[in-house]
Amino acid sequence: MKVLGIETSCDETAAAVVDDALHVHSTVIESSIDQHRDFGGVVPELAGRAHVATIGPVVREALEGAGLDPTHPAIDAVAVTSGPGLIGSLLVGLSAAKTYALAWGIPFVGVNHLEGHLFAPLLEQRDLEWPLLTLLVSGGHSLIVLQEGPGHHQVLGETIDDAAGEAYDKVARWLGLGYPGGPEIDRLAQGGNPDALALPVSMIGDDFDFSFSGLKTAVVRATQKYPDVAIGDVAASFQAALGEQLLRKLRRALERYDVRGVALAGGVAANSHLRILVRALADEFGVVAHLPSLAMCTDNAAMIGAAGLYRFAHDGASALSLSARPNWQLVDVA
Amino acid sequence: MNILAIETATPYCALGIATNERQLTRVLDDARHHTEVLAGGIEAMLEECALPIRDLERVVVDIGPGLYTGLRVGIASAIGLAEGLGCPLVSVSSLELLAHGARSAGVRGTLVCCVDGRRGEVFVQRFALDEDVTALAKPDVVKPRDVVIEWATNGAPVTFSGDGVTRYFRDFNAVPNGEVFEQNVPPVAEALRIAHTREPSAHVVPLYLREADAVANFDTRTRQ
Ligand SMILES: [Zn+2]
Repeated sequence: MKVLGIETSCDETAAAVVDDALHVHSTVIESSIDQHRDFGGVVPELAGRAHVATIGPVVREALEGAGLDPTHPAIDAVAVTSGPGLIGSLLVGLSAAKTYALAWGIPFVGVNHLEGHLFAPLLEQRDLEWPLLTLLVSGGHSLIVLQEGPGHHQVLGETIDDAAGEAYDKVARWLGLGYPGGPEIDRLAQGGNPDALALPVSMIGDDFDFSFSGLKTAVVRATQKYPDVAIGDVAASFQAALGEQLLRKLRRALERYDVRGVALAGGVAANSHLRILVRALADEFGVVAHLPSLAMCTDNAAMIGAAGLYRFAHDGASALSLSARPNWQLVDVA
Repeated sequence: MNILAIETATPYCALGIATNERQLTRVLDDARHHTEVLAGGIEAMLEECALPIRDLERVVVDIGPGLYTGLRVGIASAIGLAEGLGCPLVSVSSLELLAHGARSAGVRGTLVCCVDGRRGEVFVQRFALDEDVTALAKPDVVKPRDVVIEWATNGAPVTFSGDGVTRYFRDFNAVPNGEVFEQNVPPVAEALRIAHTREPSAHVVPLYLREADAVANFDTRTRQ
């Protein structure tokens, strides 16, 4: 069985061909990020416009890249992100997915974007051992998920305000850095002193939830109070405090649940500091660390195809009347 | 030629199918449920026409101007269909469809088509209707009041049409030298007719008439 995956939930227009052995035959990603930089965040209207302009060529490239005829591809279903995400962006991929499926006479299936991220580690290591604790951190989401197996997951905790990536973007903007803020802060923090600023590690309760908005406020206050602290030191201090909060919750989850591995997923999984912390934590607990390649951290359609294969096999096809769900939460699946 | 027409430029969602034997047009919805009704509507109408989807030879889509979300749903659907089938994709504008619809209904002379642009504006274009439909200006985005004042001032006979006219009916109806031809949905029958002869486009995108950052700024302002 082979599917075409389509992903348009934010600023990436992506398509990929994946089979049920989780072999990725092709994966294409076109991003409109350059158009958003000046605005310091993704502008929904710009993203929506970019998707309409690129969806056709991106799908065609993915099919041809997999050695398939774009008008008669030997695939069995179309899987598409139907939420969560920007409504105007989601609708482009969803609408196109439905009519590609109609044209080819095959079913289509709507996929939860977050569940897609949970399938990313499987695409890089097919024989991974379960259960798995996954830290899913991106510009839009921050969750700790317990995965009993592919498609079986329980959300242990999530952010109660900003997402981790959002905190990076806000602090970067405050420091006058570019957008997105993650890579730039990560780079500046390399030579910085993480103890230069005393920043609070909030949310030290015994649940698994996160909170990052207070940290951003603390960075603003501290830099106003100590304006002479070097920017690299600010970046390092912020990054250390944010990583510490993520790590404490992950550690608590490792203490409570008996798992075989820890996985990182989402855009913030590309952060070098976080990768070092998670690898060290995994070593400490004697479990495997699944650190995704940089290509698998960002939004891509291969992970949507993989989740779609699973959802199609277990829940069947989606109705052609399926709507986009911009606020679709990841629900527990036993 | 077997043609499918997709119309989503207004809160209405409409489809049309033309074969050599018959023509079927239908308004599926009037309340912005383009995403929910469009693909299922295509499937159902093809079945009604006993037309296998692979026998479609051309897709025509309204690229606006109009409702941005609706246009993106309609155009993305048209792209998926045309790319998936490997058939040509033709684009028409909402304003020209309204003009052709008015002409087919017997309207002659100067016609001003207005599609509701939200944000207190209309998308507007002027046409001359006689043996043919001739555009007299490029499509533009303006305040309805400016159109009304322009025509009430110049005093020339004119007909107004489109959902932008319906929305600001009292204003348009007050132009002493003006008539209103009521027409809310750009007619898919006209899209099917135009599609027979129009050259297909390789790259079909909505006709927005506003810069994206202007839209973004507007949305930011209205949120405050
Ligand atoms: Zn994502």
